[in-house]
Amino acid sequence: MNAFNIGASLIEKINSGVLVVDESFNITFFNKFMESHCLLKSKDVLTKNLFDVFNDLPEKWLKRKIQSVFMLNTPGFSSWEQRQFVFKMRHARPVTTSSEYMAQNITFLPILADESGSEVEQVCILVEDVTDVCFYQEKLKETLEQLEVVSRTDGLTQVANRRFWEERFEVELETANRYKHPLSLILFDLDKFKQINDTYGHQGGDLVLIEITKFIKKKLRQVDLMGRYGGEEFGIILPNTDAEGAFELADRIRTEFAQFPISFGNHKILATISLGVVEYDPSFDSYEDMVTRADIALYQSKASGRNTTSLYRA
Amino acid sequence: MNEIALSEEQRDCLQELINVAMGRASDKLARYLDTFVHLQVPHIDLIASESLPSSFAESYADDGVSLVSQGFYGEDGILGEALLIYRSNDAQGIAEILGYEPDDVSEVEQLTDISSILTTTFLNGLAEQIENQLAYSAPRVVSALETALESHLHQLSFNWDLALKVDISYQVTDYSFNCDMILLIPGEAIQNIQKVLDRILNEF
Repeated sequence: MNAFNIGASLIEKINSGVLVVDESFNITFFNKFMESHCLLKSKDVLTKNLFDVFNDLPEKWLKRKIQSVFMLNTPGFSSWEQRQFVFKMRHARPVTTSSEYMAQNITFLPILADESGSEVEQVCILVEDVTDVCFYQEKLKETLEQLEVVSRTDGLTQVANRRFWEERFEVELETANRYKHPLSLILFDLDKFKQINDTYGHQGGDLVLIEITKFIKKKLRQVDLMGRYGGEEFGIILPNTDAEGAFELADRIRTEFAQFPISFGNHKILATISLGVVEYDPSFDSYEDMVTRADIALYQSKASGRNTTSLYRA
Repeated sequence: MNEIALSEEQRDCLQELINVAMGRASDKLARYLDTFVHLQVPHIDLIASESLPSSFAESYADDGVSLVSQGFYGEDGILGEALLIYRSNDAQGIAEILGYEPDDVSEVEQLTDISSILTTTFLNGLAEQIENQLAYSAPRVVSALETALESHLHQLSFNWDLALKVDISYQVTDYSFNCDMILLIPGEAIQNIQKVLDRILNEF
């Protein structure tokens, strides 16, 4: 076989689609890969117009693209990331991939009338199957999204972890400051948590933490954010809420939770919480200022016998 | 870095080649876009790659940018990467120039399409003059809008020794947009370009 025949034979065997069109978009070449993935026969499509053979192509865009190759004598490209497919073709991974059609990277190459000249006679459309790349990219995206969630969530209670909670707090504080909206913070702590751990073991203690956060989550709005601040201490950011509203919510949570038995094996655990509430005041420098003040109110609740809600007053 | 600096003669020669290439590119573009295309005579600069981030960070300090990269390689060891940088505002409305239906193409695709056309028409014009033939990789958007340019250039500068910065300003009749083109060329390829420049200089 001479080099020319080897080339011609290889084009029929490669794992990429090769088709060629002339200036009127009539097909002049159609390789085996195209035949088998489009379920068409070369003899049936040759000399036919590309847009008659494939009647669902993005015609205006594709014509302009091919024209640019004819006129500029430069290659053109289409990437699956912007346009997942141009030709509706079956791919070789029908089972493991979610996409219906083959993801394609396409290169449009000028074919010159005469190798030394610059007149483009035909355009070769090279179709590469990148379904695999597309598949792994999707997986990577999903994984990154999961990681993102994990990185901001407290593993035990599934509420925001401290780092994420503080980040959000900073943003909410800025918003409240700029738009003169009220903003409140509830800080709460399980009463006698050490005793719960000593009586029921750490699994019992963990369960109480899980149940209290579940219990409270149901009472919060979409915009509120609960985060685990420390071991058994949690914070709730309440945008657009003044001291009165925050106190009312905090005290409702307190009374209702005190009557909420948590089943642990054969036991019913009745736990209580102490809460401190503070409303944002423009004199505060940072969210840490609010935490400090909520902590003072929380300490008052503990000092006055626990299972209590206190509001910080400047 | 000094050993791959261009001599004054080489530099003039390169500037002249670039001017001609730019002229050819603008002529082709005007015919393709069916409108008047004005191209300024480009200013070229050779910059050590480590100082590239800071020199660009300054001129793009206040803007969100889009960066499109396209690799090229030819005969005689000539290769490199072309970067086109657009300010966010300038990147809009390209679909119209290209003659696409605006709903038909995403913004990223408009960017990669126009970039590829600008890069390949210009570089082909350059290659023709030095009797070379270039092939290209597909254009890729390196950074989306609103990303700091400097950090991207920092990553790039590890791989390139010298950057040929070509400031290009394209203007299309009713609509003007500007972009900068940077050709990043590794040291070895610069030496190959120098050989080509010397050959041309000797012919005259």
